[in-house]
Amino acid sequence: MKRALVVQLTRFGDLVQTKRLILTLQKRGFQVHLCVDRSLENLAKILYPKIVVYPLIAHGTGISGKGFDSVLPINLKVFKELKRIHFSEVYNLNYSPMNYAISTLFVPETVKGHKKVRGQAVKSPWFDFAFRLATERRNNINLVDYWAALSSEPIAAHEVNPVARPQGGGIGVVLAGRESRRSLPYDVLAPLILSARSTNKCKKVFLFGSKAEREFGEKLLSKLPPSIVSDVTNLAGETGWKELVEHVSPLDLLMTPDTGTMHLAAHLGIPVLAFFLSSAWCTETGPYGSGHTVIQADTECSPCVESQPCYHDLKCLAPFQDSGLARFVATRKPEHLPTGLSAFESSCDFLGADFLLKAGNDLSKERRKRMRHFIGCHLGLLDIGKHGPFPELAEKFYKEKDWITA
Amino acid sequence: MNNNKVLRILVVLPLYGGSLPVGRFCVAALKEMGHIVETFEAPDFYDAYNALDDLKVTSDRHQYLQNSFLQVMSQAVLAKAETFEPDMVLAMAQAPLTHQALKRLRRDNVKTVMWFVEDFRLFTYWQSFAPFYDIFAVIQKDQFISELNQIGVNNVLYLPLAAHPDFHKPTPLNSVDIRKYGGDVSFMGAGYPNRRMAFRKLIHHGLKIWGSEWDGDHVLEPYLQLGGRRVSSDECVKIFNGTKINLNLHSSIHADELVSGGDFINPRTFELAACGAFQLVDRRSLMSETFSEGELAHFDNLEELDEKIAYFLGHPEERENYAQKARERVLKEHTYAVRMQTLIDFTAEQFSDWPKDREVDNIFSEDYPEDLKKEVLQLIENLGLPTNVGFDDLVTAVRAQQGELKAIDTAVLFLDEWRKIYKK
Repeated sequence: MKRALVVQLTRFGDLVQTKRLILTLQKRGFQVHLCVDRSLENLAKILYPKIVVYPLIAHGTGISGKGFDSVLPINLKVFKELKRIHFSEVYNLNYSPMNYAISTLFVPETVKGHKKVRGQAVKSPWFDFAFRLATERRNNINLVDYWAALSSEPIAAHEVNPVARPQGGGIGVVLAGRESRRSLPYDVLAPLILSARSTNKCKKVFLFGSKAEREFGEKLLSKLPPSIVSDVTNLAGETGWKELVEHVSPLDLLMTPDTGTMHLAAHLGIPVLAFFLSSAWCTETGPYGSGHTVIQADTECSPCVESQPCYHDLKCLAPFQDSGLARFVATRKPEHLPTGLSAFESSCDFLGADFLLKAGNDLSKERRKRMRHFIGCHLGLLDIGKHGPFPELAEKFYKEKDWITA
Repeated sequence: MNNNKVLRILVVLPLYGGSLPVGRFCVAALKEMGHIVETFEAPDFYDAYNALDDLKVTSDRHQYLQNSFLQVMSQAVLAKAETFEPDMVLAMAQAPLTHQALKRLRRDNVKTVMWFVEDFRLFTYWQSFAPFYDIFAVIQKDQFISELNQIGVNNVLYLPLAAHPDFHKPTPLNSVDIRKYGGDVSFMGAGYPNRRMAFRKLIHHGLKIWGSEWDGDHVLEPYLQLGGRRVSSDECVKIFNGTKINLNLHSSIHADELVSGGDFINPRTFELAACGAFQLVDRRSLMSETFSEGELAHFDNLEELDEKIAYFLGHPEERENYAQKARERVLKEHTYAVRMQTLIDFTAEQFSDWPKDREVDNIFSEDYPEDLKKEVLQLIENLGLPTNVGFDDLVTAVRAQQGELKAIDTAVLFLDEWRKIYKK
């Protein structure tokens, strides 16, 4: 049996966003093996029941000391196992020194993505090209598609996740993402929940988050009318992966910033109402598949860089505080959407996930469309004879070394 | 400085030339001494550099391109230094390091050492570059050192050439090699004017001449071996071992002086000695402090050389006696390992804060799992490192390996990256 290894060492959301690649490899006849941080082992088994999972220590949480007697022995055991198996293809996905280290286990020719060749760190040509595309973040492609395109013959985008449909079980609310700047404060979130709940048949609300966000949940509850509080269950810190899946699966809607739970909902076909601000931009990491909505902050500085401080006093948060947003959430009427926000609906096209404007502005729409066609031709998904040429994009995104040494 | 301290040394080789094999022997010696060595393989760039000569462009363009190419190489050395974080950059004569790059290394407090294994009278570019090196090691003394001092270069070390006993050693030849490389009297080296003049008068000894740059000499042409191509270091060892009398005549650009009476000792002197091969060598002013009487057989003029060839051909036991003593001396005092230790000690003397202490993380705690310890120790041994090596140096040595690694190697690299990311 052909075996392919996928090395995905980052977080919850990224693991879910690896789905199109994994499904592609399975469709191509591979038995898929997956290397993840051990904290994600059970989730990986739930998401991808037919794959073989290898739990590594790739995250730093919960480990004291220098790792000589903890990280080293556990990872060594995994590496020995990986070494024992013959993988025809290895997909090493993260731009991280740890991934470059892992690549040394394999013959460089079998590794796609990030690898070391004769000691030199190099990216596959597709990743090299895609890194350049990321300089236009508003027109960038979805992370799911970025990873999937590392393989030949990626499955169609609409085959990845089910079309989102309410399941009748109420509304889920994700309290905060990994970066607090990308999440709405509880007093901003509260009226939006009330608004969404007002139009939903099932009135139950479930709050999701880690243990650290439990207090955030309590504060949020304090902002809701007492009559509603009884319908709200604060599950922050109380759900393992299995419970989280069980609680998200029956929902009508998940309200969330850009989080792993958002991607989980998309995976399960649960409609998402996402709030994207700060460094989050829907075309890059929006919920995958059809039927999700993203309220996108659209200031001249967005999307910003997560690792850099905000010098604009979080101005992208301000429009979320406008009362018009609550009306929009209830009515979905474009005229209610405050200035500074745009609403996009997720869809699937030849390349992958795309986001179509429903309200607000989409100033880069034409450019994005052209870029998607350019990328489609680059990947061989579209016929350049029919859709091209793209001289201005080619000049920007193709480099001399592509032309000279590819 | 603690002699057991493991250093990280980046050796920058030249594009080509006589200092290239010397550089490679330095690398081998440093590794043998347990240091962690990275090599900048400038020869890999040489064909591309030469291709610029075939462009048929204007002279200024040609020079611009050559300079740009060397800038790129120099930048590549800097990038390597940035990643490898060496304690020392050891550059061999003609190493592709620009003034700018040397300034940058100095600013970054990386000690740079040049081993200038050239004749300062012939290769005069040292005047421009010597002040940019922290240590300037030379194979000549007095006048050269005084001139270096005059231009403000004071960290000068006299460091004569040497042999590498793992390579330059007595080697029995098979019958094919004996026919090819063996002989009564041989000379291995380039066709300098003094040699051309001398050897015309020695052909009656059945002389075999090896090496390049002998073109156009019709008298010597029949005696020239391998069509006058460059002889590899491996072939040299065979020639030395297969020859009864190896002529070692130091080069001179003046045809009228057979024995130039110069100062420095060429590498062949040490290499022949280390091979246990007999040599007749011209006397050099720096020889008496390097070899004792009875260790080398000398000649001072052509007539004496001619006579001594005849004499020693008839006295194999005397040849053996000289060869054995010379070999003993070289193995004791004139190996590249000895030279490298001298260089390291000298650097430590000149710079009290060198080498900088690195934070050493001891890998094994008292209750470290026995099986894992065994496996890590095996890795350390395979890499030729001391068993008490710190984790950081272990990682550097593992990283120097290439291609598909073993699970333990990858686990060490992975742990290193993990620790850096999470600041453990």
